Amino acid sequence: MAEITGGFLVPHDPIMFVAPDAPEAEKAKKVWDAYETCAERLAESGASSVIIVGNDHYMLFGTTCLPKYCIATGHVEGPLDQLPGLKKEQVQNHEALAQHIAAHGSETGFDWAVARSFTTDHAFSIPYKLIVRRAEEISGRSISAIPVYLASAVDPFITKARACQLGEQIRGAVEAFESDEQVFVIGSGGISHWVGVKETGKVNEEFDRQIIDLCCNANIDGLVAFTDEQVLENGGNGAMEIRNFICAMAAVNAPRGELIEYQPVPEWVTGLGFIELKKG
Amino acid sequence: MSRDVLERILWSLSVDRFSKEKFRENPQKFLSRFPIDEEGVRMILEFDVKGMQEVGVNPMLTLGYWIEMSPDRRVSSYNRKLGSDSAHSASIKG
Repeated sequence: MAEITGGFLVPHDPIMFVAPDAPEAEKAKKVWDAYETCAERLAESGASSVIIVGNDHYMLFGTTCLPKYCIATGHVEGPLDQLPGLKKEQVQNHEALAQHIAAHGSETGFDWAVARSFTTDHAFSIPYKLIVRRAEEISGRSISAIPVYLASAVDPFITKARACQLGEQIRGAVEAFESDEQVFVIGSGGISHWVGVKETGKVNEEFDRQIIDLCCNANIDGLVAFTDEQVLENGGNGAMEIRNFICAMAAVNAPRGELIEYQPVPEWVTGLGFIELKKG
Repeated sequence: MSRDVLERILWSLSVDRFSKEKFRENPQKFLSRFPIDEEGVRMILEFDVKGMQEVGVNPMLTLGYWIEMSPDRRVSSYNRKLGSDSAHSASIKG
């Protein structure tokens, strides 16, 4: 059976690509290097596929349909929101595993919305380019990537408890998949950032450190216990993306996380945290 | 004021090329296709992103709409319109 053997929690900050020189160079380098560390560790692992848990930013899904959770089961390309250094490309999806996760969900109480053809946004494409594609370059092996999108930025939001349950369902589905392959899961988002509101540029390091501690202690219940009001007040509307962390953590089921890097970067309007979810 | 209709219009103007063209050609005519009142029309034509957020429109849509459709498209101007003194004005658009 297939197995989820590890994962990461990483940000997906588009401002890094638009204004790479905005922060001081040393701080910027630490952030870029953190992605490289993740890529190296993925390359060193035996994983042949990655599930990236991200969220739409009201670009992919419109007012006519706003899914709570969606998985791409067919052709994938992206991102829709191309950036300097992040151009649209074809994505090697693991269609068989994605379809299996959706079908397994139907049998276990999780009615996935499926995208038979999907265009990602930066929530998927930043970690895909900087971690998955880079790991392919380092290791010389092919690594497929499955987009999972949660309603973490556009209401009605998926509840944090449901995001946790969904992660558990993903793990159960992977473990029921007839294959000996190893899978990584990346939770893409956060931490504190205020998007499109007057507080934009504010970063709350104290809140970010709280989230990091909970993630490193594998304390999913502690993350779920935050009310949305607390998250919005202390971490901004962008921090609602901790749902993506919760889902990934529940999928990996690691006993702990290791902080790779944290940088509060107001110039990039985000507190940027990188955590490895370690199984061993 | 219908937040839902405002969001539908802003989403169209953020991502749909045909809608953008029609809005640029004749914004009043474009908006006449939607069931919004005079206040809604005013907010869209005046790029009143603060007013739209006050009626519940998602900030990601007001930002996307501003970047795609406003006269100067700069986030620094958007921030001022919101009453923000944020010095951080990088756009999410490349």
